[in-house]
Amino acid sequence: MLKDLEMNNMIEIKNLKKGYNGVTVVNIPQLNIKKGESIGLVGNNGAGKTTLFRMMLDLIRPDAGEVLSKEKNVADNEEWKDYTASYLDEGFLIDYLTPEEYFHFIGGLHNKNKAQIDSELVQFTEFFNGEILKKGKYIRDLSKGNQTKVGVAASLIQNPQVLMLDEPFANIDPSTQIRLKNIVKELSREKQITTIVSSHDLNHVTEVCDRILLMEKGKIIKDIATNSNTLQELEQYFSVLS
Amino acid sequence: MTLTFLIHQSKAFWRSKNTGKSIAMRIVMGILILYLLLNVLVVAFFMDRILEKTYPNQEIIQSFNSLLLYYFLIDLLMRFQMQELPTLAVRPYLHLRINKNQLINYLSLTSLGTAFNLTPLLLTLPFLIKIILPEHGPAGISAYIIAIIGLTLTNHFFSLWLKRKVNLNAVWMLIFFGTLILFVSLDFYFNLFSISALSARIFNSLIAAPLYCIIFLLAAGIIYLINYRYLKSNLYLEELHSADVSHKSSTEIPFLGRFGMAGDLAANELKLILRNKRPRSVITMSLFFMFYGLIFYNRPDFSAYPIIFCGMFMTGIFIINYGQFMFSWQSAHFDGILVSKVRAKDFFKAKFLLFTMFSTLSFLLTIPYVYFGWRVLVIHFIMFTWNLGVNTLLVLFFANRNYRRIDLSKGAAFNWEGVGASQWILSIPLLLGPFIIYLPFNLLDYPEAGLATIGLIGLLFILSREFWMNKLILQFQEKRYTIAEGFRNE
Repeated sequence: MLKDLEMNNMIEIKNLKKGYNGVTVVNIPQLNIKKGESIGLVGNNGAGKTTLFRMMLDLIRPDAGEVLSKEKNVADNEEWKDYTASYLDEGFLIDYLTPEEYFHFIGGLHNKNKAQIDSELVQFTEFFNGEILKKGKYIRDLSKGNQTKVGVAASLIQNPQVLMLDEPFANIDPSTQIRLKNIVKELSREKQITTIVSSHDLNHVTEVCDRILLMEKGKIIKDIATNSNTLQELEQYFSVLS
Repeated sequence: MTLTFLIHQSKAFWRSKNTGKSIAMRIVMGILILYLLLNVLVVAFFMDRILEKTYPNQEIIQSFNSLLLYYFLIDLLMRFQMQELPTLAVRPYLHLRINKNQLINYLSLTSLGTAFNLTPLLLTLPFLIKIILPEHGPAGISAYIIAIIGLTLTNHFFSLWLKRKVNLNAVWMLIFFGTLILFVSLDFYFNLFSISALSARIFNSLIAAPLYCIIFLLAAGIIYLINYRYLKSNLYLEELHSADVSHKSSTEIPFLGRFGMAGDLAANELKLILRNKRPRSVITMSLFFMFYGLIFYNRPDFSAYPIIFCGMFMTGIFIINYGQFMFSWQSAHFDGILVSKVRAKDFFKAKFLLFTMFSTLSFLLTIPYVYFGWRVLVIHFIMFTWNLGVNTLLVLFFANRNYRRIDLSKGAAFNWEGVGASQWILSIPLLLGPFIIYLPFNLLDYPEAGLATIGLIGLLFILSREFWMNKLILQFQEKRYTIAEGFRNE
């Protein structure tokens, strides 16, 4: 029985600590994320959101503790890469490729051929709004918002079980924001994909996510299941702070 | 305002994350430039004797006059290759209450501070004082000095203008080089036109009528104005993304498809090389290295040392020149590589694939050196083996210890970004390796055995590559956090 419960944990964080020059940036004693949960990560600048993402993706070595994905430490093996897709910033994009080349490359990593990728990209026609494909531009020549679209779409075509997006709403236009929200909602509710999304827009996260983690100075100080009062609660917290 | 800009720029320099590195690099650069200027001075002081020796049948001043234009032509070419556009990041100032004129004046003024502008005067002044002054008096020498300053400034602003044009549209480069080639071929091949005669005429008339020197100043003024107006109408484009509107198409490299994931990665890196300025200029420089052997092989009865040396450089120039900055080339998307499903093994295999491809190509290109004897070809092949076996591993060993970010969009000439201790240390085993093996054999009078040993060691390392690669991968897994962190620091 206990074993079954544990098995439901997609991601488990234990005693995770990271500091720079004596300042603690992340300090999370325990955090469990279940399969299919959709997590919204909020917090002011410098709260440690991106650092947390980077440790979950094994880009930064923690000072202490570990991140387990399907019960395996992400730093010790690479299996998590088979089912985890992510987009944190432009550093994830190969900017001298055209978007098509990049999608084909990412798809190839997951054993999909070009035709498969092309047919999968059709579902993003609306999301891309005619600005990404067949424009004859390298990724580096796209606007920041369009780069975000490429990064998000590239993580979605990997058919992940875990999806991590850092501030995906930040640079994109309102229509695309709405489309992205629908995509993320659908992923977690219908496909049981575990999603972790950070955002400064409290409306977005409370709408999309069913669990909100509030970070402050590296700690998770609130862990709430979303309900009708959540937005108010969060707004209150942030207005008191300022 | 100019002062404020200067202060801002010095702050940008001192407060940058890489200040320590930059200072060290500037000191090295400074010493290098000083050394070069010193060489120029030496040439300058002996100019009259050099001219006398080279053209014994001609008056010195005549030879000097006829060579001046050539010099400024070469000066222009050098500037075009190496002079940097002044880089005040104008973006944060454009929307403020600052006149565009002030920005442009600042850009133009600061651009003047380059060794290129010092060289022409440094090179000619001793000669002018020694020869022209006694013969043509103060009027003559002032005319020369003004003319030379005028030509220097003309070249300076012309090359800046041309570079900006080329940045926006590469056709300008074709036009420029086309015109140059036309003139030079008219001069040397068809003898329809003589730059030296023109040069002699211009400067002879300068001696006759010193006031002509005003023309050179006028020319400088005109090109300054052209540059100024061009900058003014394009200032919002400056430093922003280049308005390159040509259609970019997706390309495939079917040949590499056969190598699986490693092939795909190598294809990506090939695109990296072809589509970015800095790696592209590394490749161009590597092509020039193919002529390296001509310098050493021309003498009769040369020993094996220069062939070993040139052979290593010519067949391994890509491994050395491109490999020394690995994995910095990928610094902009290194995080993306780490989180993606790219296995470290494929990542490394791709590097070997790339090295093998380029080295083989270089080896094929150096086959014509067989003209200097079969021995040359055999030694080249031995060094080719050595490069593939030993130098690839050496370069990748140091790549695991290289944490410096590189901006791919800048040129490679005199670009010290990404250069650190690891490149300097790397050069020691790289340069000495084959000689340490060859030397004792040669001293014992078995040079052939020495060469065979180099080849055998190369072969041995190629055969045991898998083993060494696994070691490198283990190191890579250990170091990847440090590498990624270094690459994130801009």
